[in-house]
Amino acid sequence: MDAFYASVEQRDNPALRGKPVAVGGSRERGVVAAASYEARKFGVRSAMSSMVAARKCPNLIFVKPRFESYKVASKQIREVFAEYTHLIEPLSLDEAYLDVTENLKGMASATAIAKEIKEKIKERTQLTASAGVSYNKFLAKLASDYQKPDGLFVIKPNQGEKFVEDLEVYRFHGIGKVTADKMNKMNIFTGLDLRQYDESFLTKHFGKAGKYYYNIARAIDYRPVNTERIRKSVGSENTFWRDLETNVELEAGLKPIIEDVWKYCERTQVYGRTVHLKVKFKDFQIITRSRTTLSPIVDSTFFEKIAYDLLEQLYPIPKGVRLLGISLSNLALGDDMVGKQLSLEF
Amino acid sequence: MKFVVSSSVLLKQLSTVNGVIANNPIVPILENFLFQIDQTQLTVTASDLQTVMITTLAVESSDTGAIAIPARLLLDTLRGLPDQPITFKVDRDTFGTEIITENGRYKLSGENPIDFPKVPQVTKSLSVQISADILGAAIANTIFAVSNDDLRPAMTGVYVQLSPEYTNFVATDGHRLIRYKRSDVKSEYDSTMIIPRKALNLLKSSLPSDDTTVTSDFSSSNAFFSFNNIRMICRLIDERFPDYENAIPQNNPNVLTINRSEFLGSLKRISIYSNKTTHQIRLKLAKNDLVISAEDLDYSNEANERLMCDYDGDEMEIGFNAKFMVEMLSNLTSNMISLEMSQPNRAGLIIPADKKADEDILMLVMPVMLNTYA
Repeated sequence: MDAFYASVEQRDNPALRGKPVAVGGSRERGVVAAASYEARKFGVRSAMSSMVAARKCPNLIFVKPRFESYKVASKQIREVFAEYTHLIEPLSLDEAYLDVTENLKGMASATAIAKEIKEKIKERTQLTASAGVSYNKFLAKLASDYQKPDGLFVIKPNQGEKFVEDLEVYRFHGIGKVTADKMNKMNIFTGLDLRQYDESFLTKHFGKAGKYYYNIARAIDYRPVNTERIRKSVGSENTFWRDLETNVELEAGLKPIIEDVWKYCERTQVYGRTVHLKVKFKDFQIITRSRTTLSPIVDSTFFEKIAYDLLEQLYPIPKGVRLLGISLSNLALGDDMVGKQLSLEF
Repeated sequence: MKFVVSSSVLLKQLSTVNGVIANNPIVPILENFLFQIDQTQLTVTASDLQTVMITTLAVESSDTGAIAIPARLLLDTLRGLPDQPITFKVDRDTFGTEIITENGRYKLSGENPIDFPKVPQVTKSLSVQISADILGAAIANTIFAVSNDDLRPAMTGVYVQLSPEYTNFVATDGHRLIRYKRSDVKSEYDSTMIIPRKALNLLKSSLPSDDTTVTSDFSSSNAFFSFNNIRMICRLIDERFPDYENAIPQNNPNVLTINRSEFLGSLKRISIYSNKTTHQIRLKLAKNDLVISAEDLDYSNEANERLMCDYDGDEMEIGFNAKFMVEMLSNLTSNMISLEMSQPNRAGLIIPADKKADEDILMLVMPVMLNTYA
């Protein structure tokens, strides 16, 4: 979906149409969750701090997110997808991979399907979407980003390699900023540069991901459309209204975050072995600390203790803290779930 | 009122309908068989208010009338008698009944037949003719998966979906689900109903295993079955059956194809070593390779077997309740079966590889979670 949250806001509030809109928190401390295309012209991007965004675009209108409305729209678009295939891999509320090789309508052309889906989405939600059509997930994702908004871009089987050649490594899905910087230092700037290296070289420098980089440089991606993505971590974080300075403030700030994460664990019976603490200071420096236990943490007081221990290790706090976050990884099912006979959902 | 009947013929007919009678019926009259004499025909009725079974047999008599006779007493008497003609003499005023045999006389006190509940009559209904062997197969293939959970009454019976093209028989206990589809059972128009387990069990044991036609009539509240000299009436379960079709996963790329009896044999052996409450067994699947294992940590028991199979799909480990698997596989006759899966926390589908004409069986079983996440 194009500028999903912002588009929903503009759809529901005519006063926002044609204006630069940012969906996100307060002006001082918030983060932009989505920016309308009018705002993007000024350089406003999602995940940008609201302060920076406001500086770039003085007329920017901030709107509080209304997740209920986004969920409704999300459900509508998923219903459209489901008319074409059962093989749907949702990436977020507004983005999904669809495998339409064999589709429910028996249509031969994926491009025709993409066109129909876009039309139906427009009809039912009054929102525009951009579609990318190709022969694997990596290229489809690239194609969908290529022409926005309201785009439909196709990368045909004989175009895949060429398309990747000229692409900057920063644009590769699956290569983050840090990895791309590292590649630049090694004189790898484009797909073509990346293609000069063999798999063992890339694995040596980039670990497990090396094999993936080797393949995508050749536009090869065999990952199937995965209808059941498995959660790898669970976490919660909070940016505070004002910087936290004292130990008492920090501990009070951490408490609701710990509770939030624990609630998820109890509800899903999924527990983690590794607790991560994330701290963002007032100068935006981020540090993380983690501790791994031998078995999944199934006791809330133990979980709390580890979280506070991680925080205490940082005392005395060198500077004001803007954000605190706790997450759990190395997830496993709780004892109550092991050996549990699952039931049909009806 | 007097009639003469063969003791063995009577015993056989009474045994057929006796299953209806509850151990502690709501009203004491239901501990009796209702005997109705119409000269040379005796009609016997047993009821528990939900289910009624009626049978007819030939007797020697010139009377007309009715009497309710205690079922247990009468059956125990007949079971102990060698085959012979026996005479029933009924006092119409006191309902006292006398049975006269070659050896002696037995007196038992009957009940007023007026007190016996009225049997519902076929009213506006949908009528379907089903061959007895097909109906028997449909019941046998589904009844074992019917739920015992009275809190979910909709699932305590078999859901029948009649249509002009085919008929589905569906049963589920929430952990597994069977859909038995017949393309040779058709009705005039679409109709659905839930038939309670007890009625189907009784039907199953009294149906002949040949192609005798069973006339089945369905009204909005009752089902009526009649074949040979037997009639059964049962009250339908007035509940909404769960939306089972959405519970059947459509996309199951991991497919195990295996000899059914070898798989079954292995499951039976391995399950001996599984935990006694969960009956959990583990299937470890890799390309054309299946390892079945189980362990019971409480007793340090463990077992594993490797089986020949065709497996096409991702490497995976999935847990199942061995009891469910054994029960489902035992009910199939196909030489080869396939087990289709997507994820270790999603349903597995058992489908017979060799299909019989007009028959389509789908069995679904939910897994047991293993101690590995994902």
